Amino acid sequence: MDLATLTADLEALRDRALSAIADVSDAASLDALSVDYLGKKGELTAVLRGIGGLPPDDRPRVGAIANEVRVALEIALEERGSNLRASELDRRLTAETVDVTLPGRPIRRGTLHPSIEAMNEICEIFAQFGFVVHESPEVEDDLTNFQMLNIPLDHPARDLWDTLYVDLPGHLLRTHTSPGQIHVMRSTPPPIRALLPGRCFRYEAVDASHGFEFFQVEGLMIDRGTTMADLKGLLDQFAHAMFGAGRKTRFRPGYYPFTEPSVAFDVECLVCGGVGCPACGRSGWMTILGAGMVHSVVLRYGGLDPEEYQGFAFGMGPERIKMLKHGITDLRLFLENDLRFLEQFR
Amino acid sequence: MRVPLGWLRDYVDIDLTPEQLAERLTLLGMEVKGLERWGADWQHVVVGRLLTVERHPRADRLSLTTVDVGAGAPLSIVCGATNIAPGQHVPVALPGAVLPGGRRIERVEKMGVVSNGMLCSGDELALTSDADGILILPGETQVGRELADLFGDIVLDVDVKPNRGDVLSLLGLAREVSAATGAPVRPPVIELSEHGAPTADRLAVDVLEPELCPRFVGRLVTSVTVGASPDLVQMRLRAAGQRPISNVVDASNYVMLELGKPIHTFDAAAIHDGRIIVRRALAGERLETLDHVVRDLDEETLLIADPVGPSAIAGIMGGASSEVSGQTRDVIVESAIFEPVSIRRTGQRYALRSEASLRFEKGQEFRNARIGADRTAQLLASWAGGSVAPGRVDTHPEEPERSRVAFRPARVGRLLGAAIPASEQRLLLARVGIETAEAPPGTRVVVSVEPHPLVVDPWAASETEAALDGPSAPAAPEVFVALVPTWRRDLHIEADVAEEVARVRGYERTPGSLPDTPMPEFRPSPLQVRDRVRRVLAGAGLSEVVTHALVSPGDVERFRASPDPAGVVDGEADAGGEPIIVTNPLSSQHSMLRQRLLGSLLEVVRSNIRQGREDVAVFEIGKGYGRVQDRPHEWWRLGFALTGAAAPRAWNRPLVMFDLDDGKGILEILCHEAGLESVSFEPLLGTTRPSAASDGDQATFHPGRSALATARVAGLHAVGLRGRIGEVHPRLLDELEIRADRVVLCELSLRGLTRGQLAPVRAAPVPRVPAVERDLAIVVADDVPAAAIAARIRDEAGDLLRSVRLFDVYPMPGGGRSLAYRVVLQAPDRTLTDEEIDGLIAGVVAGLERLGGRLRT
Ligand SMILES: [Zn+2]
Repeated sequence: MDLATLTADLEALRDRALSAIADVSDAASLDALSVDYLGKKGELTAVLRGIGGLPPDDRPRVGAIANEVRVALEIALEERGSNLRASELDRRLTAETVDVTLPGRPIRRGTLHPSIEAMNEICEIFAQFGFVVHESPEVEDDLTNFQMLNIPLDHPARDLWDTLYVDLPGHLLRTHTSPGQIHVMRSTPPPIRALLPGRCFRYEAVDASHGFEFFQVEGLMIDRGTTMADLKGLLDQFAHAMFGAGRKTRFRPGYYPFTEPSVAFDVECLVCGGVGCPACGRSGWMTILGAGMVHSVVLRYGGLDPEEYQGFAFGMGPERIKMLKHGITDLRLFLENDLRFLEQFR
Repeated sequence: MRVPLGWLRDYVDIDLTPEQLAERLTLLGMEVKGLERWGADWQHVVVGRLLTVERHPRADRLSLTTVDVGAGAPLSIVCGATNIAPGQHVPVALPGAVLPGGRRIERVEKMGVVSNGMLCSGDELALTSDADGILILPGETQVGRELADLFGDIVLDVDVKPNRGDVLSLLGLAREVSAATGAPVRPPVIELSEHGAPTADRLAVDVLEPELCPRFVGRLVTSVTVGASPDLVQMRLRAAGQRPISNVVDASNYVMLELGKPIHTFDAAAIHDGRIIVRRALAGERLETLDHVVRDLDEETLLIADPVGPSAIAGIMGGASSEVSGQTRDVIVESAIFEPVSIRRTGQRYALRSEASLRFEKGQEFRNARIGADRTAQLLASWAGGSVAPGRVDTHPEEPERSRVAFRPARVGRLLGAAIPASEQRLLLARVGIETAEAPPGTRVVVSVEPHPLVVDPWAASETEAALDGPSAPAAPEVFVALVPTWRRDLHIEADVAEEVARVRGYERTPGSLPDTPMPEFRPSPLQVRDRVRRVLAGAGLSEVVTHALVSPGDVERFRASPDPAGVVDGEADAGGEPIIVTNPLSSQHSMLRQRLLGSLLEVVRSNIRQGREDVAVFEIGKGYGRVQDRPHEWWRLGFALTGAAAPRAWNRPLVMFDLDDGKGILEILCHEAGLESVSFEPLLGTTRPSAASDGDQATFHPGRSALATARVAGLHAVGLRGRIGEVHPRLLDELEIRADRVVLCELSLRGLTRGQLAPVRAAPVPRVPAVERDLAIVVADDVPAAAIAARIRDEAGDLLRSVRLFDVYPMPGGGRSLAYRVVLQAPDRTLTDEEIDGLIAGVVAGLERLGGRLRT
């Protein structure tokens, strides 16, 4: 073995390897080539085994040539590998192409009931002003539902609440959330800022605007200096939060036995903006809720001295709020549970 | 109350448009709910006079008429009514006319004869309810005039609140108009010319129940001619919603609408001996009332009677035998005051409530008994040619003084949140007829009348304040007395005066403010857990429903509350007690309070499937109700129902239908959200698999696919969730006509639904050492429940077990089944050695072998 032969063998090996690398068409074959030529048992190693037969002076030269060959092959392998990976990726991407106009895989979507959501919205708005949520029973006694609210037995005002009675002596299905006022006053010392959401019942034939079951949210605020002006200011804030800033509102005198003075709270018609339309009975206004200053009789039944404490109460129907807000014209939809109705909400 | 504006102008001048008036009244608390243009929808309807009425040549049931309509030649008009005759004045809709409801009248040919318009019935004009005959107008009505000019008006629909019985009258509303505009009120002028023998000679009244009838004023009008009232009166009554009957009856109705004073008239000939006795009914007495119903009277009923028997139910309805008829010559006018509660109860007992009883119920102005009697007598003389007998019979001629209500202007301002000077308050009160005067020292202010009177002495209070404030001289308190007009029965306490000040002043003049009083203490919301659960379930694809709490007896019977088999959930109420029954239900479908949500949820499934839905996934958080002894009992529950496709049908997914396992999956999420340990299941109906349905659960659930679910509170022993979950028994689906193969149904009690809070999560550090996974396939007999195997693995593996998850169930060919679990082992602080792992697994396998299992190889 002499220097010339060995050098020629190395160059021949390089040429052979480069042409084989150029011919390879997949990554696996390329890996095999790499092992064949550059591996521990590969051809380059085999050629270099002959180096021991050379004179010591020639050995560095051959080592240098062998190294050049190795580097050349490594570069060729790397380039070829990179090209092969790119084209394989291209092939995969092409093969994986789908019709992107096909519909996706739908996910089951649940919705929350608008009555309950409305109550939550109302509670959230008033929570900003420090109001906290209380609850009271639905099967109530006559005393708390009526008499303690300044509605004596056989009072004509009882006509305002057609009542469903039950087979428990002295009990009825609460006609409003107002008895909750008594429960709150008796359990919580002032300052009181309370909201009472819940289900109510009336003896009322079902039509587009009446039902025998519905929800109400009662509000109660009592302290030493809580005034009608506070009520007005707070309800304005509520109307703006619920129906949009800048909505016009108005107070007008109303009547409830458990408030004195009593008011009705109107918001500028959401349909016509106050011009007058069939939805608002051409008045330009929609009544949102009833309210007033808590009657001294109610305060006293609640255990508070009306000379020291005063405050207001209000009551509203979450379904009515939703109807106004979403243009719903039939109250019955809320308890029919037709998913085609419910699924419109989000 | 329907208020014809033309009539209202009799009592007050109105310089506002109807719309302006409506707004002013509304802002004063007299809500005008509608403005009706009475007659506005008659266009080209004129008064005509019938010249001829002949039979139609080709139709027996039609008449051929000629009608003089003032201008031009008489019109020939075909008419189907039978009450017409030549000479009568009738409404004629000319060709081109529009009638109420938008109906257009054109020239038409009827059976070969051209009809140039139409003769109108009262019904077609919306004037009366008579649809059969043509409306015959009074003989003096001017031919050719537009009907709208003669009879048109604007009618206000005023919502009079129950505390303002005084405004159930035109005069009362006129007072409110006056308060709004300042125009003076003109009460009707009552002048009587009296003739003949005094009333007292022919009429005597004994009130045996002065508590129930504090005043009875009687008058006698003789020699009346009963007939029709003047047109204007009839039209006014019609516009106000009252049907004209006869001049005598109309007079009483007119006075009721004008003054708010119900009046009753008797045929004097039917009152024996001219003697009226006001007494309670005796047992067994009967009376045929004006509606020709013979009524058995009870002893609570107050009667107007004569010596022979009952003549009327006081304040409610007259008797048929003493009714004024065409033969009546002499009329007794009853203008009485009855105790409101008694009238209300009587009306309810007999299910008879009238315009009159409605006004009695709200209380009457005492002096109106006298005024009403006089006014009626005056109208009878004028409309029926009667002769008014001199004087009245009056059981209580003394009329009370105005009541006095003391008020502190400062307190009024404090209530309203507006500093309104006393002088302004006094002026505002004067506009509703409330005179005011400075209160003499020592006057007590009534703050409240119930439960017992609360009165304060402002002078004593101001002395106390002065003593606290120091030696400066105490200012005399500012106190006034309001003299309440006799017609106002709703002003008793200081706050009532405040309301008058506020409403007359107008709320638009009180600017709103935001509260600056102390904030209340924090209070956790009782809705927190319910809301979290709602959001989680909606996120899991279930829609929230809200169903009726009132259900049918059948529903309650089928889904009765039964105590939870293994104790109650921590902090939640047990279900139980007898069902609560509504004693006056609207319908039997909604006559009892439900005890469980199951029936309602199945109804939602049923109705949605009927609407064409294939899949339904719904939940509700609602109450169950029961009675325990004589106390009501309520409890919160969560229920859900699943049927149809578990995931929405799609081209790119195999169809999988909801089954029990989906329901269990929902319980798993719930437990995670509520901070509970993993839920466990045991067969609901035992292993006996009864074939015949008996009670509750057995009839409701599939015997082999229903479970009792339990989950404990993490780290505690308390139960946090318990309920029944299962597929609905196919027989029940059939009975309820639910067209679905499978419906998963669940109702459960969950910790915190009532008012609980979510416990904070205790986070554990993430182990930094590797976990070891081992798969174990165990072959066991079919009746060994999976829950027992998992429990045994947990017991044996001990603290180092991180998780155990079932990943395959495989039935063995020769019987039994193979359950494959992936067991993950990990120590928090070190890498487990092979010996440790092998030892643990060997222990687990040995434990499973004691259950009768063997390792599948
Ligand atoms: Zn509108």
